[in-house]
Amino acid sequence: MSVVARLDEARAARRQKTLIAFNAATLRLGGKTIIENLDLQVRPGEFLCIVGASGCGKTTALRLAAGLYRPTSGAVTFDGEPITEPRREVAIVFQDYGKALLPWRTAAGNISLALEASRVPVRERGARIEALLRKVGLPGHADKYPTEMSGGMQQRLQIARCLAQEPSTLLMDEPFGALDAMTRQGLQDEVLSLTQASQTTVVFVTHDLDEAIYLGDRVIGLLPHPGRIGIELDVDLPRPRDQLATREHPEFLRLRRQLFDFIKATEH
Amino acid sequence: MKRAAILWRVASVLVAAGFIAAWQLIANLKLVSPVFLPGPDRAWAALVRGFSSGDLAGKLIGTLEHMAYGWFAASIAGIGLGALIGSSKMMRAYVAPSLEFLRPLPVSAIIPVAIAMLGLTQGMALFVIAFGAIWPIMLATIHGFAAVEPRLYEVARSLQMSRAAIIAKIALPSALPDILAGMRLSLTVALILSVVCEILAGLDGLGHWVLLSARAFRSADLFAGVILLGATGYVTSIAMSLLEQRLLAWQAAAR
Repeated sequence: MSVVARLDEARAARRQKTLIAFNAATLRLGGKTIIENLDLQVRPGEFLCIVGASGCGKTTALRLAAGLYRPTSGAVTFDGEPITEPRREVAIVFQDYGKALLPWRTAAGNISLALEASRVPVRERGARIEALLRKVGLPGHADKYPTEMSGGMQQRLQIARCLAQEPSTLLMDEPFGALDAMTRQGLQDEVLSLTQASQTTVVFVTHDLDEAIYLGDRVIGLLPHPGRIGIELDVDLPRPRDQLATREHPEFLRLRRQLFDFIKATEH
Repeated sequence: MKRAAILWRVASVLVAAGFIAAWQLIANLKLVSPVFLPGPDRAWAALVRGFSSGDLAGKLIGTLEHMAYGWFAASIAGIGLGALIGSSKMMRAYVAPSLEFLRPLPVSAIIPVAIAMLGLTQGMALFVIAFGAIWPIMLATIHGFAAVEPRLYEVARSLQMSRAAIIAKIALPSALPDILAGMRLSLTVALILSVVCEILAGLDGLGHWVLLSARAFRSADLFAGVILLGATGYVTSIAMSLLEQRLLAWQAAAR
């Protein structure tokens, strides 16, 4: 067998593998069924986007994958093991960066929190923090408190703290929902370049359909009450993505139409 | 902006000077008998005399000691108990009604009980001061721990932080503004109760000094003691503010 064939095979095998799997996962909270019989596979290294009308359980699905909730029935597994608690190789980026950062710690201190939790020795922290701040475009802001930073900068800081965990998987819950359009586009590209280079698996929840197609390898649309999968689209757009070229690509427009039609149909 | 701040400072000093001048005037005109009301000049002279003879310094240290021990004991117990109760919803539900009963209880009602049990001792004073000063601290700590942003606990969970680390790095700093505000309130309570205990139990301190001076109609000494007590309250409160500013520098950044 040639080397190329073997590589192809390895790649195909990895595509078949699943990192996070929802097997008939159901979650009831306070007598309400939030998610019912959800079957979903997240493949290692892929960028999966989850969209849906509000109340469809997309954030809940993410929290199940994070280990912040446990399914009422069915199972959610990571690498074959049931997820019972959050794990260090899975980092969560919350939407409300203002609440997820420690206001009494500087930017450096907030990143340090993750390093302290991973028991990184004190003398290594400074260099790691500096590198992470540079990575997310915040060099020179180490001594600023979160309240002295703009929303976009705070979200960058939260992403830097998540990267400090050195995660294999990033779970992102509408991370750019509260940001203005320009900041949002800049961060989209940064998250792509940060995660594509390191082969990080990303599960990205958003209500912005364009954003989902722009970022994802795959987009899943959930149906509400209770949450279940309504549509699954493979996004076959060339990478690296480009804010203008990708969004004008005929395939992008086709997927966009398909996704909009789906969401519209769920609203009635 | 800065000039306005200076003007306000000057104005406040002028007002204080005005009060002292009015006091001197009233004393000079003998509107109140000098037996009961010395002028600021006599009170100041008594203050200087008291310090040069060493009597007053000893009394001041006595009061400061009562205050400090009681306040520290109240702070440690109040923060500890408050953290324990505040960090658990169940504890809050179980303990809160009992606290609501104990909290409005006048501490002066506790003093006879404390004297009966502990006698006219330093231990009694410590108990009474700590008992009175613990409430603002404990209630503020409970509130502070209950009000920690739940999202931060999720961040802590996702980082797999230990329970001790969560308390030290998340809950305590988050509750610190509340705790410090409670400790500042308690400082005043501790001073009041120190004086009360000294008067009731005859313990060495400014309270005792003030009582004896009043009984002997040494009004200048009496006022010297009262001035010193006022100064003690003022200085400790300022020291506490400085500590707060230092520890809560991040809050100033938000403004």
